[in-house]
Amino acid sequence: MTVKLTRRSALMATAATAAAATLGVSGAEAADKVVKIALEMSFTGADATSALRAAQGAMMAIDEANESKAVKGVKFEYVKFDDGTATAGQYDPVQGATNARKMVSDRDIVASVGPQMSGVGKAMAPILSQGNLATITPASTNPDITDPKFAAQYRPAGKAIYFRTVATDAFQGPNMANFMADKLKVKSIFVLDDSGAYGVGLADAFQAQAEKKGIKILGRDRLDPKAADYSAILTKIKSLGADAMYYGGVGQAGVKLAKQSYEIIPNVIKAGGDGMFGSDLLTGVGFPAVEGWYATQASPHVVDDPKLGNWTKKYTEKYKMGPDDYTVTSYDAALIIIDAVKRLVAAGKPVTRDNVRDNIQSSKVSTLQGEVEFDEHGDLKNKVISVFQIKQDKTKPLDDPSSQYKYVGVAPTV
Amino acid sequence: MTTADLILQQLINGVSLGAMYALLALGFTLVYGILELINFSHFNIFMVGSFVALMTLDAFGLKGQTVVLTGLPLAGVLLVAFLVTMVATGVLGVGIERFLLRRVRHVKGPAAMITTIGVSYILLNVVLLTTGADAKNFPNPLPAVHYDIGGAVLRLREILIWIIAFVLMGGLSYFVNRTRLGKAMRATAQDPDAARMMGIEVDRVIMTAFFVGSALAGAGGLIFGLYYNFTSASVGFVAGLRAFTAAVLGGIGNVPGAMVGGLIIGLIEASGGQLIATAWTDVVIFSILVLVLVFRPSGLFGRMAPNKS
Repeated sequence: MTVKLTRRSALMATAATAAAATLGVSGAEAADKVVKIALEMSFTGADATSALRAAQGAMMAIDEANESKAVKGVKFEYVKFDDGTATAGQYDPVQGATNARKMVSDRDIVASVGPQMSGVGKAMAPILSQGNLATITPASTNPDITDPKFAAQYRPAGKAIYFRTVATDAFQGPNMANFMADKLKVKSIFVLDDSGAYGVGLADAFQAQAEKKGIKILGRDRLDPKAADYSAILTKIKSLGADAMYYGGVGQAGVKLAKQSYEIIPNVIKAGGDGMFGSDLLTGVGFPAVEGWYATQASPHVVDDPKLGNWTKKYTEKYKMGPDDYTVTSYDAALIIIDAVKRLVAAGKPVTRDNVRDNIQSSKVSTLQGEVEFDEHGDLKNKVISVFQIKQDKTKPLDDPSSQYKYVGVAPTV
Repeated sequence: MTTADLILQQLINGVSLGAMYALLALGFTLVYGILELINFSHFNIFMVGSFVALMTLDAFGLKGQTVVLTGLPLAGVLLVAFLVTMVATGVLGVGIERFLLRRVRHVKGPAAMITTIGVSYILLNVVLLTTGADAKNFPNPLPAVHYDIGGAVLRLREILIWIIAFVLMGGLSYFVNRTRLGKAMRATAQDPDAARMMGIEVDRVIMTAFFVGSALAGAGGLIFGLYYNFTSASVGFVAGLRAFTAAVLGGIGNVPGAMVGGLIIGLIEASGGQLIATAWTDVVIFSILVLVLVFRPSGLFGRMAPNKS
């Protein structure tokens, strides 16, 4: 291929050489290849603060890689994409699909960290698959996306492109059902969801295992996240005399549900998934209404691990807020991408999307949550569900998840 | 809970919801009765009202659920909050009428209605851009007093909402039926041209209708906040749509019809959630609306609209 030398490009080339010469920059450094990593989260709406906490985890990993020059000749940059829209008031799958197209069309983006939400993940996965762009989600847990049964839908191009540094709801729901049956001795339960992809899937998985464990399912209903009044259904739950209520869903309906259930069914055990974990919930509901809720995280609880003390301190100093477990999984996701690029450069291979994807697939990276390996579908080989309960700690900021959610333990596996 | 307790509890839930819908439905009905215009900006005047109320209560130092007031301080704070909110939303409604709708009032076709939709979105987006899309924790200064009636619970906030809604609706009925301006309003609703010929200042009547309707929506917004302890930019849509349905159900343009329509929708919502499933609430509400309109096209209480000459 011959390169046509136009007057303008010739001029620019001359100028660049001149600049490099005058500044005395060595050739290799001046030609640092820019490798972009997309960060796809729900920065607008009900889950904005959790999105920020997670995104900052990846940003920190990228900044550290640049500072320590982890990969020779490569400068990492991150590009933020927001799938939350003002009209939805939370994540919007349509915006997620638009973002996926933008990401695919930017040739410098070789991989992505995100999305935060499963509903968005379902919309993005087919587009990313066609564009051969791998993404590692630090938070989205709906199992369908990586389930080989739905491969034709979510990875039409064949290869796994949706990786996770969290477990899925196929474990999050059932393991919590085990926990509620074994540890909390729940005998009867009412199950709710918020009509979103994540919420419905989580509630379904929970319900199936709860039935197996002999918990009586008193009913199942679906909340409209835009409606304001859940008193009718909560009164029904009260009248049925349920031991517990399980809610699969995110904050938009969750905030209202928590407020109203505190009034109507104060003594019923209330539990949710990772959608009920985060500072948005603590500030939106407030104490005392939010007190006592159980929530899970689809990752090992390592934030309080003394081994991570320095990391937590560094993060808190840098971003003026504490990390949560999905900050860790997001940091881990970025580490895995950086490691994939590093191995390519070391092997002298070009940093293309295809090669990055292959290296992510074959990852064996030591991260904050331990050594991470993926199965052929993109799921973690080691899946852990951590259980938390909200217990007010007045000595700490009331919107800080890591001090207001008390770690209870690992939920028993199925 | 026995079945009787359950019915009573859902009745309490439904009437509280219905009171809120009724306050909102009145605004639709007042404006429609006079202008034959469906004012979609009403949805978000309600939402703005809840934010004005939030800021007013914030200014009193009430944040979250931490401060509880009783007796005179509570009555005083509520009185000021209602006054500020209702005047603010009333003025907002009048402004929308005076500067936007009046200019398109005589344009044939749906120009005025489209304008109200536009204004609705402007209000929504202004609030979204200034406060964000997440749910805001609304202060609750009411003491947690409640009465147990069998297994049903009647809380102070429900009693308060009923009283406030009752007083406001009573005041409105008095205003429409017994005052000069109310009489002028009824005359304008019957026949605007004849009213004008009899020396009624129609513009003033229209502005009054907008002020009163929007002030009631503002009061509805404050009640909403006190009842649910949250507000967000998206609360106007669902509540507004149901209130509009209530107005149509009762017979749009008909003031008592809007009040009864609101109550009916509230009760349907509560009993539907109990008997069928919350997921089906909207289906139930709108099916009943369709049925009523098929058999009684002018709503349950008959529709009142300007005579077309």
